[in-house]
Amino acid sequence: MKDFEALKNIWHNQVALPKVSHEDVLRKVRKTKNGFANKLLIELFGMCLAISMLIYVWISSPFKMWTTHLAMVIMISCCLYYLYIQVRDYIRIKDESLLLNKPEEYIDYLKSYRSDRYILNTRKYKIYTWFLSFGFLFYFIEIAFLASLWVTVIGMVFTMGWILFCYFVLMKRYIRKEELKLEDMIQDLERLQQQFKTNEPNENQI
Amino acid sequence: MNKEALFKEIFQANSRKIYHLCYGYTGDDDSANDLMQETFMKVWQNLDKFRNQALISTWIYRIAVNTCLSYLRVEKRQAKDELTDNIIENKSEEISDKDEQVASLYKCISQLEENERLIITMVLDEIPYPEIAQISGISDGNLRVKIHRIKQKLTELYNKNERF
Repeated sequence: MKDFEALKNIWHNQVALPKVSHEDVLRKVRKTKNGFANKLLIELFGMCLAISMLIYVWISSPFKMWTTHLAMVIMISCCLYYLYIQVRDYIRIKDESLLLNKPEEYIDYLKSYRSDRYILNTRKYKIYTWFLSFGFLFYFIEIAFLASLWVTVIGMVFTMGWILFCYFVLMKRYIRKEELKLEDMIQDLERLQQQFKTNEPNENQI
Repeated sequence: MNKEALFKEIFQANSRKIYHLCYGYTGDDDSANDLMQETFMKVWQNLDKFRNQALISTWIYRIAVNTCLSYLRVEKRQAKDELTDNIIENKSEEISDKDEQVASLYKCISQLEENERLIITMVLDEIPYPEIAQISGISDGNLRVKIHRIKQKLTELYNKNERF
């Protein structure tokens, strides 16, 4: 039979040492910093390219119908919104000061972050898809007058088919997966939060 | 003192204890090293905020505790516990009696609740109680009661484990 003091002695006799040195940490900091910056840069670059192309098409093509101009405004707004969300989330996840919060408050932050991401990936993505579909729909109105019937029909069927496939197949599957994941995470986080609750225990528990 | 020299000093003074905290929480060496590395990366990024702090170790522990809590988000607990048992059992074939006792102690710690693992690791590393209270955000009185209960639980687990 060992008492707690004996366990303490075992603990202090352990020779397990970390395999990471301070140089390893600094190396990883530099590598990760570049990794984050690059990922963000690629996303920003891709979206800026898409926006520039849309603006170029808008300026260089002599669109006559108001529906096409509306389509362009909707599509550019969607791209700008996506860009804003990505940058905002990146800044939020990089906010290191949250790590200094009390564990209970930090768990609260993790819960709200997960819920927000879930809303973004499900409800907001749904709205985003609707707007993009309307954008394409308005765009094809003028195309129908300019191009041949077959080109218009093929273009519309392909675009709408893809949007419907994303919405009804990929999106549904994705939402189901996200829901399960979120439920698991929230349960875990709530269990952790319960452990840190500061209610005084009963005297007879001592 | 420049930033890199200060970081080196802080790392040398705290890395071992932070590693023990992460090891106690995850129950395996590789994850403990990863979490320790992640903790110190965050320490480096926040170093300017700490420069004039009296008790820098408290903040490092706070970061380590929160980093460990985030780790649960990606790791499945049940799977992890099974894995931990396997790792400890496999390793114990190759190690001495003393190391076996340490492995057994870690195994018992892994059977505690998450916050109990974090608290008892700090107790075993002799962190003063007021500091543990500050790190875990638990009131001083409540913490003493908790520590008393965890000590009992761990001792029982260890003795039960030793009998088999």
